[in-house]
Amino acid sequence: MKYLPLVLAGLWRKPARAVLTFLAVMIAFTLFGLTIGMNATFDAVEKNARDDRIFTGARFGGVPLPIALEQQIAGMPGVAGVAATQVIPGYHQDPKNRVFVLMFDDNVHKVMTDYPLTPQQWDQIRNNRDGLVISRMSAQRWNLKPGDTFVIDAPQTVRADGAKSWTFRVMSVGDDIPYFSNGYMFGNYDYFDQARALSDRGKVVQLYVLSSDPTHTADIAQKIDAAYANSGTPLQSITEKMALDISNSGVDIVTVDRDIALAGMFMVLFLVANGIAQSVRERFAEFATLRTLGFTDRGVIALVFAEAAAPCLLGALMGVGLAALVSSNISHLVPASIGTPPVPTIDAMVLLWAALSAAAVALASSALPALRLSKMDIATALSERV
Amino acid sequence: MSIFSQIWTVSVLNFKSLRMRFWQSMVIVAGLGVTIGVLLSMLSMTAGMKQAYFSAGSPDRAIVVSLGANGEGNSSLPRASAAVIMDAPGIARYKDGKPFADAGLNTNVPVLRLNGGRTNAVLRGFGDKGIALRPEFRLVSGRMFEPGKRELMVGVGAQTIYQHMQIGDKVIMPDGEWPIVGSFTTGDILDGQLIGDAATLMSATRHPNYNTVLIRLASRDSLATLSHALTTNPALSVTVMRHSDWYKMVSDLNTGFLSMLAYVVGFVMAIGALFGCLNTMYAAVSARRREIATLRALGYGAFPVAVSVVLEAMLLSAVGAMIGAAVAWALYNGHQTVWGVNIFVLAVPPGLIGLGIAWALMVALLGGLLPALGAARRPIAEALRAT
Repeated sequence: MKYLPLVLAGLWRKPARAVLTFLAVMIAFTLFGLTIGMNATFDAVEKNARDDRIFTGARFGGVPLPIALEQQIAGMPGVAGVAATQVIPGYHQDPKNRVFVLMFDDNVHKVMTDYPLTPQQWDQIRNNRDGLVISRMSAQRWNLKPGDTFVIDAPQTVRADGAKSWTFRVMSVGDDIPYFSNGYMFGNYDYFDQARALSDRGKVVQLYVLSSDPTHTADIAQKIDAAYANSGTPLQSITEKMALDISNSGVDIVTVDRDIALAGMFMVLFLVANGIAQSVRERFAEFATLRTLGFTDRGVIALVFAEAAAPCLLGALMGVGLAALVSSNISHLVPASIGTPPVPTIDAMVLLWAALSAAAVALASSALPALRLSKMDIATALSERV
Repeated sequence: MSIFSQIWTVSVLNFKSLRMRFWQSMVIVAGLGVTIGVLLSMLSMTAGMKQAYFSAGSPDRAIVVSLGANGEGNSSLPRASAAVIMDAPGIARYKDGKPFADAGLNTNVPVLRLNGGRTNAVLRGFGDKGIALRPEFRLVSGRMFEPGKRELMVGVGAQTIYQHMQIGDKVIMPDGEWPIVGSFTTGDILDGQLIGDAATLMSATRHPNYNTVLIRLASRDSLATLSHALTTNPALSVTVMRHSDWYKMVSDLNTGFLSMLAYVVGFVMAIGALFGCLNTMYAAVSARRREIATLRALGYGAFPVAVSVVLEAMLLSAVGAMIGAAVAWALYNGHQTVWGVNIFVLAVPPGLIGLGIAWALMVALLGGLLPALGAARRPIAEALRAT
């Protein structure tokens, strides 16, 4: 603690340098927080993926599934439950504002038990033909509150009367689900189905299948596909674990994120190392004085390290804080036409990694100056003829 | 002495003393090197994808999709509509005297990635003029698919990404296994896709409708005629676009998010680099304060001194940007990659490198300006006395 005034004095010797270094470090850690936080989100989605669930859809694109499959698959051995969904893809007001509504049948709440909807909210979907339960993010994005109406224009989803726009009432706002990175809107399938043109009725786009034994989920997925391989609607079933595995998307986005964070750290390393080296060079005589006053070698080195660590740790803290602020407002910051990236999860782990990285940067950048100080010849240094 | 020769003299003096401030100057070089390196690496993806899309479109062709569709997969055209569309004015005539147009299918087929991951590949159905409409189409090996037969051709890009895509391999289709009889290249986004006969595919996949109609325009100017005829026809509900504009729209939809991400990351890193640049230039000005004051006392103006500071920042930034661009180019240019169903080659074209350098110069300008003003404004006598 007795070093604190010394550290502060050292830092404040060149206020411009201290402030600029801190700002650069903070910006680098904002990026660090966003990218590593995004990876934390991928991780969470993958970890939360249930090992007893299967997503079943048409094997060949664009072919709707008859809802009768729901009953048939429910009767297969090893299947604990099946639910059906349909999707209304479209836009809100402007074709650029792309949005979709998922229409759930009565079984979804039994199969998607981990969705953060309250029993009241599931009832709201079931009991209100045109009711919607939407996520907090969707509410924010479209500026909706319970009681509002929401219209989606869906060129591909025709109503019985030929109209292509669907009007819903927002019943309530539910917690976000990380998997739905753009937010969600859940509605009532039965209402939707009865409102469609006759030829389109009884069709769904996806089935959620629950297996009774998590260790056999993959087998059951295979059995479902095998059973329908030669039917009119061949199926493709993927376990939820595999479906939500980000490494399956083609581009290794996790590594990209990490590389960006590392690039930022590299930039900061150069900056901090230079600043501290210069500061030590300028104050060589001062350090020699400290030594003559009885400061130990180690004490002086600790002083240098503390001077490097202060802007790093403070910058890391503030940077990650800024990243958290950005993440919580991401739907306001990104235009709806582009869609939002997975919202970074800024948790204790991200903060811990940031602090460790900051410490590593401080350690690396103070190593050389510390070495020079430890080899210092006090008499020469005092005479400022270094 | 003219102002330019003053700037020249001061700047040369400046650059000569750079060696003494080597590591300090490296902060700017490294900061912008990393910034531009990351920016261009990320943009190599959008640039590559755009190239693949743009070269798939042609201003001589038009595409007809269902009203408002923003992708071929989202479009659906009943057979009757397709026939009406092909009878419209503005369409070139093929050798056989028929309209030079083709109703096509665009669907997916499940495939395995080389790493075992499951995904879907785009499967196109071509009618009898599908290939003639695309002069960029080249058979690479094997033979063409035959109309009416259950067989497929595969793009050269798809062969390098998916399993079981060599000639003789079988693809599982709804009505059994279809052999791959040939491979092709178009040099664009189609290289990552499979093709087969539209009519056979439609019956196999139970698609009652076509997705799009592709048209060779009678001339480049006949788009308006065609568009007017189709959009005023009450029997149709379609959007008509020039094929090149269509792919521009599709590529914007597909790359918009990635571009935004790249620019945001590049912008944030540039702010970090800017603080580093300010820091370095303030230190440089402070290290040279006696030298600057001497120059001023000798009669050099404040303006040349300020300009020389900004020039130094810009030189260092440009060097950093070029290093960053070179690294991005060496790492990524020409590498094949996949994003969703898009298989394409990453690209760091000269335009992108130019953007990177301009980006860095902008940072240098901002980062050099304040220290430069500070240097120029400093009272000469005071600076001379300073130790």
